[in-house]
Amino acid sequence: MATTLRFTPNLYRHLDCPDTCVAGATVREVLDAYFQANPRARGFLLDDQGAARKHVAIFVNETLIRDRTGLSDPVGEGDEIFVAQALSGG
Amino acid sequence: MTDAELLRYSRQILLPDFGIAGQERLRASGVLVVGLGGLGSPVAMYLAAAGVGRLVLADFDAVDLSNLQRQIIHTTAQIGRPKAESARIALAALNPDVELVTVKRSLVEETLPDIVAGVDLVLDCCDNFQTRFAVNAACVAAGVPLVSGAAIRLEGQVTAFSGQPGGPCYQCLYPRDGGIDETCSTNGVLAPVVGIIGSIQATEAIKILTGLGEPLFGRLLLLDAALMQWRSLRLPADPSCPICSVTRP
Repeated sequence: MATTLRFTPNLYRHLDCPDTCVAGATVREVLDAYFQANPRARGFLLDDQGAARKHVAIFVNETLIRDRTGLSDPVGEGDEIFVAQALSGG
Repeated sequence: MTDAELLRYSRQILLPDFGIAGQERLRASGVLVVGLGGLGSPVAMYLAAAGVGRLVLADFDAVDLSNLQRQIIHTTAQIGRPKAESARIALAALNPDVELVTVKRSLVEETLPDIVAGVDLVLDCCDNFQTRFAVNAACVAAGVPLVSGAAIRLEGQVTAFSGQPGGPCYQCLYPRDGGIDETCSTNGVLAPVVGIIGSIQATEAIKILTGLGEPLFGRLLLLDAALMQWRSLRLPADPSCPICSVTRP
């Protein structure tokens, strides 16, 4: 049930977040498992209520998820979660 | 179309599915460029060169020496001059047939609707989230397509929104007031990265205005120039989006 978790390079300045494989049946479960080994990442990605921060966009298999609060989208073996961050520079 | 126009635009008129009809559609179009910085420079130059009929150039800032590494529409002689005016001078020299309108004040929610309602397409080339959300809301309200680009360091993002009911908008991607502005002045940016993203924005604008090809509607392209890798991501509309869900059938 391992899902590949990848982060935008934008986050590399704040976090040591290489691509990794994490077990879990939903986006929430995968992120929670990842945060156990990488607790600093939680504050960058989620707010105090556990929802995705507003500058963060999460994609499962290259499609934006809609449940930013519950992070309930199902994932499994062979799936990919990609975490992007809003850019404002121009 | 005059002989001179036919010759000037001949290389794109030659393109299948573009032709004289595509050129006439460009000439009949009005486009708002929000921000005449790193993204807005190539955007405005390509659109003027391509023969867009009317360009509205919006930027409240003035040209600074530190801009010239990447904001290629401006020159050393224009330092201190308003960017919108500097861009107007450059574009008038590039293509005197284009009508150029300058807006030298900051675009705010109160002034945007009238400006957006008067154009056929908007390009967001600005450097702050407040303007990005305001431009998005004005485009959705007016049903005007929006081509949005952003870049910093060695990364870029570009996408397009149709402005029509049913499609996503910028606020479906990032909920409002979530981002902290990271500017090129504090984080740096590699000059050609804004050129790449701006060139894609100009390409999408021409496609949308002329009906050429398949626009980037509902897709987000991410560039990692350090590895020169692209990602193409799908953006479904957010049924609860406070901006575009109200216009949805």
